[in-house]
Amino acid sequence: MSERSLEEILQTTNPVDLLRDSQIGAYVYPVVPSEYTNWRDEQRAWRDSCVLFDQSHHMVDIYIEGPDALKLVSDTAINTFSNFAVNRAKQYVPCSHDGYVIGDGILFHLEQDRLVFVGRAPCANWIEFHGQTGGYDVAITKDDRSPGNPKGKAVNRISYRFQIQGPNAWELIEKLNGGPVDKLRMFHMAAMNIAGRQVRTLRHGMAGAPGLEIWGPYEEREEIRETIAEAGREFGLAQVGARAYATNTLESGWIPSPLPAVYTGERMKPYREWLTESSYEASGSLGGSFYSDNIEDYYVTPYEIGYGSFVNFDHDFIGREALQKMADQPHRRKVTYAWNADDVGAIFRSMLNPGEPHYKYIDLPLSNYASASFDRIVKDGKTVGASMFAGYSYNERAMLSLGIADPDVAIGDEVTLVWGEEGGGSTKTTVEQHEQIEVRAVVSPTPYSQVVRETYAEGWRSRAAR
Amino acid sequence: MQSTATMSGRSLEDLLQESSSPVEMLRNSQIGPYAFPVVPPEFTNWRDEQRAWQESAVLFDQSHHMTDMYIEGPDALKLLSELGVNSVRNFSVDKAKQFVACNHDGYVIGDAILFHLAEHTFNLVGRPSAHNWVQYQCETGGYDVSIERDERSAARSGPPLRKAYRYQIQGPHAQDLMRKLTDAPVPDIRFFNMDVFSIAGRTVRALRHGMVGQPGWELFGPWEDADAVRDAIVEAGEEFGLRLVGAKAYSTSALESGWIPSPVPAVYSGDALSAYRRWLPAQGYEGTASLGGSFESDDISDYYLTPYDLGYGPMVSFDHDFIGREALEAIADDPPRRKVSLAWNPEDTRRTFGSLFGNSDCAKFIDLPLANYATLPYDKVLCDGAAVGLSTYTGYTHNGRTMLSLGIVDGRYSAPGTEVTVVWGEAGGGSAKPMVERHAQTEIRAIVSPVPYSRVAREEYAEGWRTRQH
Repeated sequence: MSERSLEEILQTTNPVDLLRDSQIGAYVYPVVPSEYTNWRDEQRAWRDSCVLFDQSHHMVDIYIEGPDALKLVSDTAINTFSNFAVNRAKQYVPCSHDGYVIGDGILFHLEQDRLVFVGRAPCANWIEFHGQTGGYDVAITKDDRSPGNPKGKAVNRISYRFQIQGPNAWELIEKLNGGPVDKLRMFHMAAMNIAGRQVRTLRHGMAGAPGLEIWGPYEEREEIRETIAEAGREFGLAQVGARAYATNTLESGWIPSPLPAVYTGERMKPYREWLTESSYEASGSLGGSFYSDNIEDYYVTPYEIGYGSFVNFDHDFIGREALQKMADQPHRRKVTYAWNADDVGAIFRSMLNPGEPHYKYIDLPLSNYASASFDRIVKDGKTVGASMFAGYSYNERAMLSLGIADPDVAIGDEVTLVWGEEGGGSTKTTVEQHEQIEVRAVVSPTPYSQVVRETYAEGWRSRAAR
Repeated sequence: MQSTATMSGRSLEDLLQESSSPVEMLRNSQIGPYAFPVVPPEFTNWRDEQRAWQESAVLFDQSHHMTDMYIEGPDALKLLSELGVNSVRNFSVDKAKQFVACNHDGYVIGDAILFHLAEHTFNLVGRPSAHNWVQYQCETGGYDVSIERDERSAARSGPPLRKAYRYQIQGPHAQDLMRKLTDAPVPDIRFFNMDVFSIAGRTVRALRHGMVGQPGWELFGPWEDADAVRDAIVEAGEEFGLRLVGAKAYSTSALESGWIPSPVPAVYSGDALSAYRRWLPAQGYEGTASLGGSFESDDISDYYLTPYDLGYGPMVSFDHDFIGREALEAIADDPPRRKVSLAWNPEDTRRTFGSLFGNSDCAKFIDLPLANYATLPYDKVLCDGAAVGLSTYTGYTHNGRTMLSLGIVDGRYSAPGTEVTVVWGEAGGGSAKPMVERHAQTEIRAIVSPVPYSRVAREEYAEGWRTRQH
């Protein structure tokens, strides 16, 4: 029996209901141990010393090869490709025909006519769809993320993917390489030596300090990891487990989980017919206090989540017309919400009251309970934004969430975040019965941390926040 | 299969010679978190998974976190009788026991579930400290017994291949579910007795168990049947609200039922055990375990516990000779300490969480639902500033809506309702264990409460040994 398509499911089901009552369970960061040491010290290390992130498992890799590879991505991206030589990478952002974000992730120009996209499923699916149906002369190879529950069975990927980040990262990198490594510009690629092997590198950075993303054949991962771990000891390297890993974005300000804007629109219908019932789009979950029966109310534009500076009308792309109309309008913008500590304390306290209402459990350090989160932000009784990715930063000693705010909401404003779902909660498996509660929050810049704000100058994240 | 020092080279004794003391060695162990391997942390969410064992039904997957050891031969019962505090009179085939082994001074080396599988054939299942001791005695004591070990999945490399799967079905609907699964009336057999069933066409052995006052079953059989049996349970369980329990919630089930999984094995000191320490490998459970918490003494024997401390008093039987008998006889009539539950004060607990948001030092993080940060958690319990006992396994129960720890306190502080103080966190900013971030100690008031904590369980868990401590 063939799987139903997303379009078939939506014939009888409102997409909001489909996603809010998804039974898929937690969005897992698979395979990597939950903690190597403890998540507090692992978070601290990316601020104070250096860390090894293992990104080998939680993202989809999709390889695009052939003479039309660049054309395919250019036709689907808001970004310009006029400057995209081999050994460059980009934050690739495709939009729907109506100009709403489908997803985003990193696109690597590996060789002439050979690209790889690395990120969440929605972009990978969109690329695969166009590769198969768009008449492009390309070959697509999809290497899916590792299973959430491997049940002890062996896991295999094409590549391992690590990042070395933090203030001591570059010293460690040069020690590993056995000599100086050029600090190329952000998102430029090169190569270095580790354990006698040449590995490819992407210039990255975190908290204002240069770092690298490295990758190579999956079979070599343990050898490379052990070499880095051993060499990193003198620099205070911490290997970061799955619990701490996903929270690094709370400090750096990237929103990993916009809802793919694929559920509506006649021109998106062929895509919905192509997407199967087990796809991320059909099976993923939507959670939080923001509720609307119109799925489009959950869509975001590139301007709203900090990608305005990527929108480039130097080429034709899906969504171009819609974005041209939006470009000069006022936009909601990306912010960090810093939660009030006393109100968070009240939520924990409610766990200790037998027979009394309790609130949605705040898991630490990552507090999301759906693939895509939307919590309502209220000011003067009016919804003025949404919180989309929440957790705790030991470095900031605060609960933080990333989200969007209306244009007239100012940095420093106090707003209210509604925590928990209405009516006792949806039927998502991650949701126990609970009541909603209001949490005060201060609207803050993205990236949140003062260190990042002042020193991450070359990155787009801080540009977007200004 | 052996796990002896003779094979691996270095022994526990070698390790201790290089350390300033056993306490220092264990407190600064680099082993990291005590893993409940393979099973995912949550199938749904740990709050509802805890609730299900109180309100509907649960499936525990115990296939991976315990060591199995098959003990076979004409002298098997003799071996076990000479090591265990338990009586083996009436220990016929198809019965099981909570086997407790002590050192010569009457302190517990380890405990585990002992299954009498067939004539002269037993399986010992649990944390490996009891197994190691039994194996050592077997190899050095001239018993006509053979031993086969099947290590816990965390202690193995490669895919998790075990000899046997091990599941439990627990909760108020467990009996109905068993009836449906076996398509037959469920036999009315006593706690810790075994029977044989057919599930999904597979032969399954079952140990009558129970939790929260309700009968439950532990099921086991050959590894190749694991998926078929599990799938059948999950499918049949749907109508009974069965929840699969992940590693997070599973680890807290002991809190409510009142079993202490983590005594310090009483093997690190004393000349009588020096040969055993030379036999034990450096890399085994005893050599790598971590010791954590606010209870501190330079003398490792201050961490040792008697069967009475752990609530195993009713199992100590002087109808046979066993190692540690004399020492236990001396305290049998009036054991100085009692096992209790400690219900943590909500305000103090909130304040401890709240330190995560402050400008001053954080308290030791309370991970939920299991808050232990060492293989062997030992916190100090005070009353009016005086040390009155230990708190040794800590977590949160959604059913009781409370932080709970299992304590061992002096008899006169054991009355339910007594207010004591648990000191949470380690001295001096914390030890070098990887699980320990720099932190400040804090005091948390707690109310001495019965074991098992749950009121329902306390009244109805009547046939179990846990309620009959003394």
